[in-house]
Amino acid sequence: MDSAIITFENLSIGYHGEPLLSDISLAIARGSFTAVLGSNGSGKSTMLKTILGLIPPVAGRVILAGDSGASLIFGYVPQTTNLDPLYPFTGFDVALMGAYGRVKPGRFVPASERAFTHECLEAAGAHSFAQARFAELSGGQKQRVLIARALVTRPEILVLDEPTAGVDAAATRAVLEFISRIHREKEITILLVTHDLPIVRKHAQHVIWLHQGRALHGPVAEMLTPERLMSIFEMEVR
Amino acid sequence: METLLQILSPDFLLRNSVYTSILVGFACPLVGVFLVLRRLVFMGVALPQISSTGVAVALSAPLWLGLRHAAHSSQSEHTMAFIGSIAFTLVAILVLAFLERRGRGQPEGRLGTAYVVAAALSILILSKNRYAELGWLDLLKGEVITISNFDLTLTAIMLALVLGALALFHKELLLVSFDRVLAVTLRKNVIFWDIFLYLLLGLTVSLAVLSVGPLIAFGFLLIPALTAHLFARTMRQFLLFASLIGGSLSLVGFWIAYTWDFPVGPADVVLLGVVYGLAWVIARIAGLTPEKRRSRKTPIMT
Repeated sequence: MDSAIITFENLSIGYHGEPLLSDISLAIARGSFTAVLGSNGSGKSTMLKTILGLIPPVAGRVILAGDSGASLIFGYVPQTTNLDPLYPFTGFDVALMGAYGRVKPGRFVPASERAFTHECLEAAGAHSFAQARFAELSGGQKQRVLIARALVTRPEILVLDEPTAGVDAAATRAVLEFISRIHREKEITILLVTHDLPIVRKHAQHVIWLHQGRALHGPVAEMLTPERLMSIFEMEVR
Repeated sequence: METLLQILSPDFLLRNSVYTSILVGFACPLVGVFLVLRRLVFMGVALPQISSTGVAVALSAPLWLGLRHAAHSSQSEHTMAFIGSIAFTLVAILVLAFLERRGRGQPEGRLGTAYVVAAALSILILSKNRYAELGWLDLLKGEVITISNFDLTLTAIMLALVLGALALFHKELLLVSFDRVLAVTLRKNVIFWDIFLYLLLGLTVSLAVLSVGPLIAFGFLLIPALTAHLFARTMRQFLLFASLIGGSLSLVGFWIAYTWDFPVGPADVVLLGVVYGLAWVIARIAGLTPEKRRSRKTPIMT
């Protein structure tokens, strides 16, 4: 529970050699629920892309500790708006993509993986609309399908990029309750990027707050006190 | 009906042209589906034109080098045309894809410029080539008449290879097209699969241009896929409808052209356009357009 699943060592991240966040050293514990907070343009998405290996660090390094030395398996949940509605995929098709990492190129997806995908859709409460066209689902339904897809990858860590952006309040509550339940029951590490402070207070254990090119890291109880929030906001106003 | 049976008869004089049109009609839309999904429709218009410029350059090269045209057999001429076509197509597709990945500038502007410059260059090259009237201009206009057994066999084999590759690797190609970030987290080599898709695309475009000309090539790459997208509910339906629309309309187009003595290419493309227009109206009346589908979607279930 206490071993680090992701460690940043003197990490600077950004684009084309220009750091957006500098000199970050912190560790995300295996089995923890960590929220990444910050204003627009503070580097939340850049940090996520660096962790996922989409962009290289400007300096320092990211250490990913997969089980028994293997590569870390990510369950990635994007914002639904990042997925093009032009593709005529059903919810099941989208969820099944989570199994593609285990199926070699040129091979068809075996029945066992299809059955497991059905199980994950069931667990995410998405089975009833899994045969509908993904683009025509509501925001909350899409998120459930994407969470099911992330579970199909058999992840060690779930990375959620503002999963409730554009989703109504009731659906947001349901999605977050479900993520919390997975965290508790399966002991999966959760890394959640969000703007939503009440969500963080209710569900997360740790916070990484990005501002002014720096990353503050600590338990929710310490990071979200009124005094701490005031000092952060004052720094941002200045 | 009698004309249709005549066209389909093995003794029909232009049977190779019919078979090639149908092959291109069935195969091009399957590749075109990826162009539509990746929102690269303009690339589907520009590439066949660039490919035909490659053909014009390859066929004019012996003349520029002072070699006599008569010294070349039609098969070596065909091979040179294929090399020119594939070289221009692949270079263009890789450069355009590279610029697309960098995400700078206006992609539509680049593709529009590539299209119009390639078209103008083809005309310039052929205007100075005294052999241009020996079928090359017909090819560029989409006159599918003189197709040898060798051309037909080559087209059939290569298209079968392309379709086999698409069938085998469709899940990787769809994954990197739909969600690149997921593909990276699943340790898929997205650059490799992008290049692989572009190679298949380039090969199909080159073959289609060489067999039936750029007009039919871009007609069949795009319009059947756009028509099928109006009705398809799943990816399988999308691919199946697109291919069936392309294949069947290529036959109907040939029949119309043969009956009324029209050039095949323009007849095919106009027919595809008319069917797309009708399909769009039907889809709109039936409430199948994306806007209507979304407004009709199931209530939010949390």
